[in-house]
Amino acid sequence: MSEHVFIGRRAPRHDALPKVTGALKFANDLEAPGMLIGRIYRSPYAFADIARVDVSEAERLGAVVITPDEVPRKLFNPRLVSVDEVTYKDHLILTKRPRYIGEPIAAVAAPSEELAQRALESIRIEVERVYKPVLDPFEAMSPSAPLIHEEIMKGDQVLKVERNIAARLSYTEGDVDKAFREASVVVERSFRSGKRYHMQLEPKAVLCVPEPGGKLTIYATTQTIHNTRILISQLFDIPESKITVVKVPIGGSFGSSIQVNYLVPIAVALCLKARRPVKIAYTREEDMLDHSNYVFHMRLKVGAKRDGEIIAGEFHNILDIGAHQIQAYPLLGTSLGWFVSMYKWKNIRYEGVAVYTNKVPSCALRGYGAPEVQWAVETVIDELAEELGVDPVELRLKNYVGRGDIFWGQGPTVRSVIKSDGVPELLLKGRELIGWDKRGRPEEKKGRFRRGIGLGRGFHTSGAGGPISGEVIDFTGAVLKLNEDGTLDYITALQDHGGGTLDAHVKIIAEELQVPPERINLALATTENTPYDVCTHASRGVFVGGEAARRAASIVKQKILEAAVRLLPMAVNPEALRIRYDPAREDAVIYVEGMPEYSITLRELARKVWQKNWGTIAAVVTYRATSAPPSFTVYYVEVEVDTWTGKVRPVRVVAGADVGTPINPDMVEGQLHGGFAMAWGMVFSEDTPYNPETGELANRFLITDYKIPTAQDLPRLEDFKAVIASTKEPSGPFGAKGLGEAAMNPAAAAICNAIYNATGVRVYELPVTPDKLLKLIKEREGPA
Amino acid sequence: MRPSAINYMNTHILPSFEYYEPKSLGEALELLDRLGGDAKVLAGGTDLLVKMKTGALRPKYIVNIKRIPGLRYIRLEEGVLRIGALTTWHDLEEDPVVERFPALADAVKQMGGLQIRVMGTIAGNLCNASPAADAAPPLLVYDAEVVLASVKGVRTVKLEDFFVGPGKTVMQPNELLVEIRVPAKGGSSAFVKLSRTSMDLAIASAAVYAEFEGEVVKEARVALGSVAPTPIRARKTEAVLKGRRVSEEGLIELLRTVSEEVNPITDVRASAWYRREVSRVLVYDALLKAFERSRGGRA
Amino acid sequence: MRVSFKLNGRPVEVDVAPNELLINVLRDKLKLTGTKYGCGIGECGACTVLVDGKPVLSCLTLAVDVNGREVVTVEGVSEDGNPTPVQRALVEEGAIQCGYCTPGFVMVGEYLRSKKRAYSEEEIRSLIRGNLCRCTGYVNIVKALAKALGGG
Repeated sequence: MSEHVFIGRRAPRHDALPKVTGALKFANDLEAPGMLIGRIYRSPYAFADIARVDVSEAERLGAVVITPDEVPRKLFNPRLVSVDEVTYKDHLILTKRPRYIGEPIAAVAAPSEELAQRALESIRIEVERVYKPVLDPFEAMSPSAPLIHEEIMKGDQVLKVERNIAARLSYTEGDVDKAFREASVVVERSFRSGKRYHMQLEPKAVLCVPEPGGKLTIYATTQTIHNTRILISQLFDIPESKITVVKVPIGGSFGSSIQVNYLVPIAVALCLKARRPVKIAYTREEDMLDHSNYVFHMRLKVGAKRDGEIIAGEFHNILDIGAHQIQAYPLLGTSLGWFVSMYKWKNIRYEGVAVYTNKVPSCALRGYGAPEVQWAVETVIDELAEELGVDPVELRLKNYVGRGDIFWGQGPTVRSVIKSDGVPELLLKGRELIGWDKRGRPEEKKGRFRRGIGLGRGFHTSGAGGPISGEVIDFTGAVLKLNEDGTLDYITALQDHGGGTLDAHVKIIAEELQVPPERINLALATTENTPYDVCTHASRGVFVGGEAARRAASIVKQKILEAAVRLLPMAVNPEALRIRYDPAREDAVIYVEGMPEYSITLRELARKVWQKNWGTIAAVVTYRATSAPPSFTVYYVEVEVDTWTGKVRPVRVVAGADVGTPINPDMVEGQLHGGFAMAWGMVFSEDTPYNPETGELANRFLITDYKIPTAQDLPRLEDFKAVIASTKEPSGPFGAKGLGEAAMNPAAAAICNAIYNATGVRVYELPVTPDKLLKLIKEREGPA
Repeated sequence: MRPSAINYMNTHILPSFEYYEPKSLGEALELLDRLGGDAKVLAGGTDLLVKMKTGALRPKYIVNIKRIPGLRYIRLEEGVLRIGALTTWHDLEEDPVVERFPALADAVKQMGGLQIRVMGTIAGNLCNASPAADAAPPLLVYDAEVVLASVKGVRTVKLEDFFVGPGKTVMQPNELLVEIRVPAKGGSSAFVKLSRTSMDLAIASAAVYAEFEGEVVKEARVALGSVAPTPIRARKTEAVLKGRRVSEEGLIELLRTVSEEVNPITDVRASAWYRREVSRVLVYDALLKAFERSRGGRA
Repeated sequence: MRVSFKLNGRPVEVDVAPNELLINVLRDKLKLTGTKYGCGIGECGACTVLVDGKPVLSCLTLAVDVNGREVVTVEGVSEDGNPTPVQRALVEEGAIQCGYCTPGFVMVGEYLRSKKRAYSEEEIRSLIRGNLCRCTGYVNIVKALAKALGGG
């Protein structure tokens, strides 16, 4: 750590005080004069054809109303991350053919929410036909199932949908059948995950304000202001230059606002019709209906030689994507990426199919499939180790994809070579800390309460960059300028979901320029004052955005040195100068190397540059990363299972992370804490089952029956240990990589392997509620 | 096909209603008598307002009883704990006298979150008549009674006779539950609850009141929540427990009677099978906890 | 109906309908948006405010119910303009990520602090279970509250 002045130092985040005093404004906290409140009329049927929408009463009540006939009827995809040729489009802003309960059919805006609600309740629909909902992907693929979509668009091509298959992807490498024949041990298992909901604390909101000259300003809960602008521009045929999307703080996201949320185009349409500002803030129940996660139906088959060398891996992946595509096709690719980048299978066969069902549309949820795939892979690897009779730690060390290997977590077109790898360190340190070698075997454990230790190893990418352009858009930008008093304004379109991404950027700039972080202002960012950034996703905030910030700072630094040469004439050229932080003066000092008496502070320099009419020292950077290096994580978890009730209690956690240089160790640990909690929910409670008859969520859209862990459900402070590997990523800013998603990805696997170690029960279906776990335990032990 | 009520749900706001804020019990009872079944009584609001926001209830009238003086108290008088209609869970949590009713104290600690306990009343929990009501099993094993008042007068009902079905009680629309009476007993007691997370309704819950002689159960009363249309007493199990030693091997097997006495359903929280399976474990755990307490002298 | 109450130490008067909720009156009419809507049904705790010193869910409180009472929101916990020990500890311990749940935790923390007693970690965990956080796994929140509440 000592090589850096600001990086690696624990420091409170810049927005901590505004957050803790309630001063910070989220989208729903904003208002505009004359603002109307919008509400969305949602389909009460899971699958139906609507003949007519009667809004006369709503209009009589004074509401502004929009129906499917009054909004642009272009098929679109709310997520703009794939290049257009592989973007599947099947959404309409408002629809007459709802495909899930909750799909927007109409919308109203009125001066108060109460009036808007009254208008909403007065809307009547005339239903032409109600279909029985198709909720099971296998049923959906049967030839007799009704088609949820008949025609969709892929880029500008019309696609006919067959058997409700939204997209497919297959891949082979080597001779898989031969490899399985030669394998001494083969393990084949099927898995199914739950349909989780993000449950970010802030329900999504948007405020759309009409401006003079036909302009629009949009304040939205989003991970991407630029893609919001592009989509609204495309849908409504308004030039991008007339739309400003303002970055507002986001109350957690985890992927829930990775696409442009449905309320944004609806608010825009209402705003255009009303010619007044319109705000829509989702209720929690609407938020749950907006998006939830993909359901993975996976079959994995792996083969190894007697000596523990893995020689084959096969992966069948049926994705239940719900009623619309957001990133079904890219997810087929990343699922494959998560799989191939876990272990050196050598011979690979993959078949991925994404299937429509009449459920809430699926979007990415922290890890974008990695938690599910890594749960399955790490379970199978655990079983393989057992069949081979080798230590699971050793098996992983022998076969994992690490330094020097080709890595393509984000899919087949996003490949790069791994240059930093903390896996051995984390595996071995964690093993020691948790007491792995004393964990015992399941069959030795007796009595009602049984403890077990499990291991899960995984990774996430740092962004989706790579050496070739591929199918994924990933680049960012940064603006940095030196102000006249020596402070700096930093502007980036990148969003901070809460993990501290932008604080990391500030520290990176501070380090590069040797100025205290407090001097760097995170300036208001909009689409008009920032270069394009694709989205804050894929754990790219620090690695990609941070490197853009570093490059901007590096350009500013060069210009500072050039100005300093003019102010310190004894120096022959900028190369003769150095810049260092001087704690006494609380400022960066530019000085002649070896002759510190010739120096000038940044404050003085900035003032002189201004007074002498030398112009503004500033940089605009646009940056594309040529790799997306893996951040590796290793979880060792100890649990205690009550074999009479199926309830599981966390006993101890050792969470190891290889993030390269930790820019802010506090926040690295914070990600691990949060990642584990989310995995705990994924394993034991989180799911949104559907009523098989009506297609309605069984929890009636209420979080009363969508349980996430509370403080009381998680390990005690002294029982949670975070370990950070001592690596450095050569392609990252000051050696840093991402973490947000890696922090969670393999934790579910570790918990499930711990359940096995305690009880001998393998978990192939999530969530494993106490109900299901007790059944599994009883099945294993036979009648009492 | 039945359409979803999604468009009638809005948890940002409350539907409108006619509002009454009686200043005395007499005024409240007269209002209830006049307004009849179209009126709902508002006390803590933690159940009622949720039902109104989610479209489950749209009452015409709300009678807010919170401003009525003299309904918020906890008093131990002549061996009976008296709890007023406006007494909150948090009031119970803060009052040391409740520790003399350990099963009730257990339920208080496990009920909702702090804010729900600050707002919610225990009387409201009973009136709401959820099979999962945390207040019910402990009060059932203490043989509690509730006092119902109306313009016609006051009647006392045994809690066991109070619940009729999910959300249904013997209360008439013009009646108000004004007091809960809990007789103090000499034995030991405990309540245990199983739920998905620590902030949840019970998947199943059980309370046991028992008197021990050494390790032998002299008398036992057992009640369960969330395993039948109403909270129930498990009388067969009580009989089975009588005379048994708590250390007896196979006690958990003997408690299979519990599974016969319960009549659970499958819902989004758990399956009927699971509720049947764990109800005897909960009774077992509550019995052992009560026994531990009896040895520790904390009856 | 006209209701008067003390809000963050100062008297206020506001006209409300009987079905108006405290959260909406605070946020929309009195422009105190620090109190957050998270679920509207009392499950998440983001809308917690203190009424007569006790933490209540403003999403399940009628505005008419605070008539004559004292309401404190996250904007008003500090008496001198400086952060309270609870707020300071949340900042220092890295207990804030997205910050949307933070006001609710502050209010519960302030209530516990007003009790002038020490809380164990176990007690703190139990007393904040009505406040959901999706970012932090509660680790640093518990750490911060333990620090501010002088517990062990």
